[in-house]
Amino acid sequence: MRVSLTTHGGLAAAITRQLPPRVADTDQLSPEVAAELRGLIDAVRGDPPGRPDPAARDAMTYTIVVEHGPEPTTLTASDTAMTKSFADLLDWVERNAA
Amino acid sequence: MSAHRTLSCITPPFILTRLLDSDNHAIRDAALSTLLTSAQLRGERGVRSLIAGALVTPGDGRRSIFDCRHSTFLPSATLVRSEGEADVADVSVNQAFNGLGTTRDFFRTVFQRDSIDGRGMRLLGYVHRGRHYNNAFWDGQEMVFGDGDGEVFSDFTGSLGVIAHELAHGVTEHTAGLEYHNQSGALNESLSDVAGAMVTQWFLQQTADQADWLIGAEVFTPNIDADALRSMKAPGTAFDNKLFGKDPQPDHMDRFVELPDTDQGDNGGVHINSGIPNKAFYLLATGIGGYSWDAPGRIWYESMKASTATTEFQGFADITLRKAEELYGTESREQQAVKEAWSGVGIQVSTTPTLRRQ
Repeated sequence: MRVSLTTHGGLAAAITRQLPPRVADTDQLSPEVAAELRGLIDAVRGDPPGRPDPAARDAMTYTIVVEHGPEPTTLTASDTAMTKSFADLLDWVERNAA
Repeated sequence: MSAHRTLSCITPPFILTRLLDSDNHAIRDAALSTLLTSAQLRGERGVRSLIAGALVTPGDGRRSIFDCRHSTFLPSATLVRSEGEADVADVSVNQAFNGLGTTRDFFRTVFQRDSIDGRGMRLLGYVHRGRHYNNAFWDGQEMVFGDGDGEVFSDFTGSLGVIAHELAHGVTEHTAGLEYHNQSGALNESLSDVAGAMVTQWFLQQTADQADWLIGAEVFTPNIDADALRSMKAPGTAFDNKLFGKDPQPDHMDRFVELPDTDQGDNGGVHINSGIPNKAFYLLATGIGGYSWDAPGRIWYESMKASTATTEFQGFADITLRKAEELYGTESREQQAVKEAWSGVGIQVSTTPTLRRQ
């Protein structure tokens, strides 16, 4: 399973939009860590995100693409509509992805 | 000081709201803590909206700074410093507190504006949001600051210009209400950069010629080869390095960047094309000379108040010409400088309405 994170918007949008995605591949993770990642992804799938606040300015949006099986799954969230499950997954990807 | 407690309370919100105006710090902080605790317990969006409404009631622009303790869930943040209280040990808290205070004082002193909404709206700042969070934003009610990842970005409260930029988003929302996409969005972003530059220059008592006109010069770590997030004097030159490439901001309509109105396209390049009105303001300020917040700032501020949600570059430029005439007279030096500033970025201004850009 391959997980990639791209970030958009924010005060530094001109910079963040030029950064490459951050990627984690479960083939390169220990079984325990890979299982932790799968658990975090499952939690996000069962916890749909809220609607971003239209009044927000400089907020960032996050797209996490999970490639596993025939169809990739895309998970998205923004700073103003962040579920705890997505925040946990985002934190994991930011700590572990290259 | 920590006012974060887990208790339930049956005090009606309108009473708690009144208590927020108490001169007694302890009472005020307890009321605020109770409102926040209620939201945390119930976890309801409706409750959060209720509290937000209570907190934006007139309060003479009183500041409250909250520590997110690296959470992304703002209702769980802890109140750590309120108006009238002394410095605390946390540098980020003090920087946010002081930056919001300087920006509030700037709007009050220079434009006679009472806080974000013109009616004394409370200033709520949240620091230490998330882990390694490379951003600061205005969420429609509050200003939120990240610590940066320590590799590329550092603490966003370290930049007075950034703090003023975020507060100014609130001012724009309460005046023109510029839609946050395409040209109106880029104008919205530019107005925040203009405020960031003016507040910084006002704090340092710099003339337009003395200022560096950089936005967010302080948010990079020393490891990063970048001058700032943006340069108003020379859009497109704030950075050029291997890690994140060259600054994509245009400085002229000939180089306007067409981007999709999506998250991926920065909502039509709101942080990209803001370089064009940014440069126009720089040209105006240096063209008139002296302090940017005097005639240039007054013309821009009055033009913002006269703009609408869909105002684009040309429309705003035309408004600035009219405002320069109203404030300083027909064919005045200031009005001539407005014409020349917009011409310098490829926009010809007139006092007759023009069609919107297609």
